[in-house]
Amino acid sequence: MMNQPLEIIPTSIKLSADGGVTIQWTDLHMATYPYAYLRRHCPCAMCRDNPPVVKTSPDPFPILGKNPNPIKTTGATPVGRYAIQFQWNDGHSEGIYSYAYLREICPCADCQKSNSTG
Amino acid sequence: MGLLKKNGSLNEKEILDALSSINDPDLKQDVVSLGSVNNLKIDTGKVSLTIKLTNPACLVKDQIKIEAENAVKKLNGVTNVSVSIDFEVTSQGSGNTPNLIPNVRNTIAVASGKGGVGKSTVAANLASALMKCGAKVGLMDADVYGPSIPTLMGDSQKPQITENRIIPPVIHNVKMISMGYFLPKEEAVIWRGPMLHKMIQQFLGEVEWGDLDYLVIDLPPGTGDIQLSLCQTIPLTGAVIVSTPQDLALKVASKAIAMFKKLNTPILGLVENMSFYLCSHCGKRDDIFGHGGTQNASQELKLPFLGEIPLSTEIRRNSDDGYPTALTENPYSTAFQSIANSVASQISITNYRASNIPSIEISN
Repeated sequence: MMNQPLEIIPTSIKLSADGGVTIQWTDLHMATYPYAYLRRHCPCAMCRDNPPVVKTSPDPFPILGKNPNPIKTTGATPVGRYAIQFQWNDGHSEGIYSYAYLREICPCADCQKSNSTG
Repeated sequence: MGLLKKNGSLNEKEILDALSSINDPDLKQDVVSLGSVNNLKIDTGKVSLTIKLTNPACLVKDQIKIEAENAVKKLNGVTNVSVSIDFEVTSQGSGNTPNLIPNVRNTIAVASGKGGVGKSTVAANLASALMKCGAKVGLMDADVYGPSIPTLMGDSQKPQITENRIIPPVIHNVKMISMGYFLPKEEAVIWRGPMLHKMIQQFLGEVEWGDLDYLVIDLPPGTGDIQLSLCQTIPLTGAVIVSTPQDLALKVASKAIAMFKKLNTPILGLVENMSFYLCSHCGKRDDIFGHGGTQNASQELKLPFLGEIPLSTEIRRNSDDGYPTALTENPYSTAFQSIANSVASQISITNYRASNIPSIEISN
């Protein structure tokens, strides 16, 4: 009665310089989400309708005014208790990634395998 | 509390051992290992100490005081014991990310599915009852469409606005803010989502709440923009769901519960309002909306049941007069007091369990 089962949520979210976002979960699961993968899976209405073009390597011929760098986050803010919002170096920041969604799209081999079979 | 000082025939360890038989009523763990025993002083036979609880509304304060005094009295060499009970409301923290309201320890949303079940009455009385126990309390009326908190608490003052900060009026020792203060009586709020979101952010971030143990937030009915904005803007400590005993209200209440679950906001429990009617003429009890429905529903949903409030002319009259029943001495005020105790107790328990706000680390 007193102990409502807690949702599986992240205990720590690490944004590294080049690797991606590493999430450790309350059930001790851990995985690193490459930045490009996470940006492509942006759940905002705009990106769902028009999947974003994501740069994964530096632009060899940068045109003035365009960001020549490969995609990465510049920051992250928690949204209440259930989600996180990433700020990207392409200027986008609208997507609210709920913890449930992040777990659903976990890129680790085990999760991908169980997703494709189940 | 680590050092053991020999003091005549008595030492601290003996006293702490004696006290370790006493459990905190909310956290169900002994007061010594919780570190609740403070200011332990031994002066040749005279012992004084403070036990700090995390629940200001604790109904068994006196009982703990007596138990502690008796436990220490039994020791050899003790001639005089004085135990005082104090409280310190805990908070969950917000991980390592900045919070809009850093000095507000707990936020409680009062919600329902259906309208007209008495959310605002419960919110006003919950805030008043917590204040009556000595806690520092704020009350935020997030119901922009039908702001009723100013009526329920008595609207004598208006908020002061200084340099982009809103100074909330203090009524019955509770800091308050409501859309009702900013709108002429005959006007209505006809807003779309983004405006409502902005209002929630201003009511939280721009109001000078100061240091608070509890901020009670009265929500409009339903599962709309305001509820979502609130759950996105701050990590709520938890939600209290108000319902009447009838099936119709309970069915809609379960929608509100589903929403909070989806947003990972803990449900502190359910309150049954308009639980029964005691006839003021013959004293006969009448279960107008049925009875116990909310308690059964909370058992089914495995959620705590926080208490029931009867349908009463007295509560209605106090509400219209702007004097919350919880502040009076009539029998109905104990109903609110006991709900406040249950809410505070659920908050202590929620906060005692590991924080469930992830830490965010940026190394780029």
